[in-house]
Amino acid sequence: MNLTITNLCKQYHHADGPVDALKNVNFSVNKGDFVTITGSSGSGKTTLLLCLAGLIKSTSGTILFNDFRIDSASDKQLSGFRMNNVGFVMQSFALIPYLTAIENVMLPLAVSNIDKAQKYNRALELLKLVGLENRKNHLPKELSAGQQQRVAIARALINKPTLILADEPTGNLDPALSIEILDLLKSINQSQAITILMVTHSPLASQYGNHKIHLTDGCLS
Amino acid sequence: MNVRKLVWLEFKYHKSQLISGLLAITLGVAVIVGIRSISVVSEKAVAINLDNLGANILVLPQGSNVDNYYTADIDAPTFPEEYVELIATSSLAGVDNMSPKLTRRISINGQKIVLTGILPKSELASKPIWQNSGLFGKTLKASCGPNPSNESLGYKDEKLQRKSIDSLAPDECLVGYSAARRLNLKENAAIVIEGKTFRIAKVITETGTIDDDRIFAHLHIVQNLLGIKEQISAIEIMGCCNAITEGLLGKLRNILPDTKITTIGQIVSTQVQTNKMMNKVSFVFLLIILFVGGISIGNFMWANVNERRKEIGMFRMIGFSKGIIYRMLLAKAFILGVIGGIIGYIIGTGAAMWLGPEFANLSVRPLPGLILVSLLISVAVSLIGAVIPAWVAGKIDPFINMQEG
Repeated sequence: MNLTITNLCKQYHHADGPVDALKNVNFSVNKGDFVTITGSSGSGKTTLLLCLAGLIKSTSGTILFNDFRIDSASDKQLSGFRMNNVGFVMQSFALIPYLTAIENVMLPLAVSNIDKAQKYNRALELLKLVGLENRKNHLPKELSAGQQQRVAIARALINKPTLILADEPTGNLDPALSIEILDLLKSINQSQAITILMVTHSPLASQYGNHKIHLTDGCLS
Repeated sequence: MNVRKLVWLEFKYHKSQLISGLLAITLGVAVIVGIRSISVVSEKAVAINLDNLGANILVLPQGSNVDNYYTADIDAPTFPEEYVELIATSSLAGVDNMSPKLTRRISINGQKIVLTGILPKSELASKPIWQNSGLFGKTLKASCGPNPSNESLGYKDEKLQRKSIDSLAPDECLVGYSAARRLNLKENAAIVIEGKTFRIAKVITETGTIDDDRIFAHLHIVQNLLGIKEQISAIEIMGCCNAITEGLLGKLRNILPDTKITTIGQIVSTQVQTNKMMNKVSFVFLLIILFVGGISIGNFMWANVNERRKEIGMFRMIGFSKGIIYRMLLAKAFILGVIGGIIGYIIGTGAAMWLGPEFANLSVRPLPGLILVSLLISVAVSLIGAVIPAWVAGKIDPFINMQEG
């Protein structure tokens, strides 16, 4: 896997005038990298992540995922790209409240043609990986914050992604739980060679990356 | 886990909200089904009545109407029984038979039943079904011969084949099919009507007419029981068609100036008008349900989409296309429509079966064909109502779960 970002710019239109969220960002990421993206609030960290996931369109520049042009792909192509290549971990966990832990993990496979038993077994395997096998039938509200984030990580892995995009994954967790989740992400990164791009405010979390990107007012520094 | 299961789980999770979403469409479908069920039975009853009544002239008290006669209201006006004698002694040509009747709605074991007093020897029994019940009597002689136009069509004038009920003892009664079922009555069993015990001489085979909900006893016994002596509600007259054409109605009006004399054709015409009006009413309801039901479902779906913005954003983020989001929302609307259609059909049919005998004196049965119509209306309205919310759902930003930084 190779992710190459060239001259990436993103400009938001605001009533007070255009706002440059990203300015000529250039970098590349290779398979197995653990990249942390830091910066102050409003520096463009999340905008960068959204552009990389194809969730918003960049104003100019290119984003190349292997041979796939994320910046110019159609909505349908981007849906397929995310479904097949990307796992998401978010600060708010974003678990579906009416699905059990194992159903939440299986969710990204809901539109795939994979056999029902195969989906189930894979989800169970991932719940084992994150240590929640015995909580498979629990609803999110029956799980602690740390457990919910671990379910979210398992969900991010169900489609065997090559890239995980994590947005402040420890933002809602206390320091002990944060370390637990960061350790888990690091072990997944190392054992499965999955590339991780993690946006974080936390100096502790930023230590986990083997590459660090710092953004200041939309520019790499 | 697949999309179908996902829709179903979400549907179950928000089931308490469904009641408000379903209310308008369910009630709308129920009203349409109810009106349609009654009007269909009413239309059939008109046709069967026309075939089976035999009489083609109806003499009613002045100020009365056909509805009073059929619904047998408690305060429906009456007129003296001696009017029968007046007609008989006037030797009017073309009056083949007269059947005076007194009808009143009474309560037996908590059930509303129409008690009808008849004079057995003159009661028309031209109804084939009554004859099937073994109620044969003397053959009537028509005053005028078979209608040549009928003969040319290959059948004889039915009047020549009509029979009358020979006898009905003072303590005997005949019970209509539906009345017998409702009261669980069998032939030869005893029944207490207004304090008097009767033996059930016959349970009449189902006719599909108002007779099914009636109990028949001797006119004079009924008059005594109801305390309306020597009074009747109507005289059904079997008149010769040629004589009617030649002014029989006018002659009858001269003899009985304080009565209302009408022909079955007019009665049928009135009923047909009523049925047409009911059909128009159900069409108006159809338009209302399309409007209100669509808005109601749309409003419910809109609220549902807004409540689930983060969830839908999550679906989009992990790779669900807009098309899948549309399908999920429309599938939910489809389920709502199916449930609304089925419940609406059940409520509408139940209401028609309950209110039909109560207010229109008609035994209403479920019409299975209407379930398909209910489903089609309900599902179509739900899908139309859900189109805009589904479109809005497809537009939800996939990154709604990520915070800007």
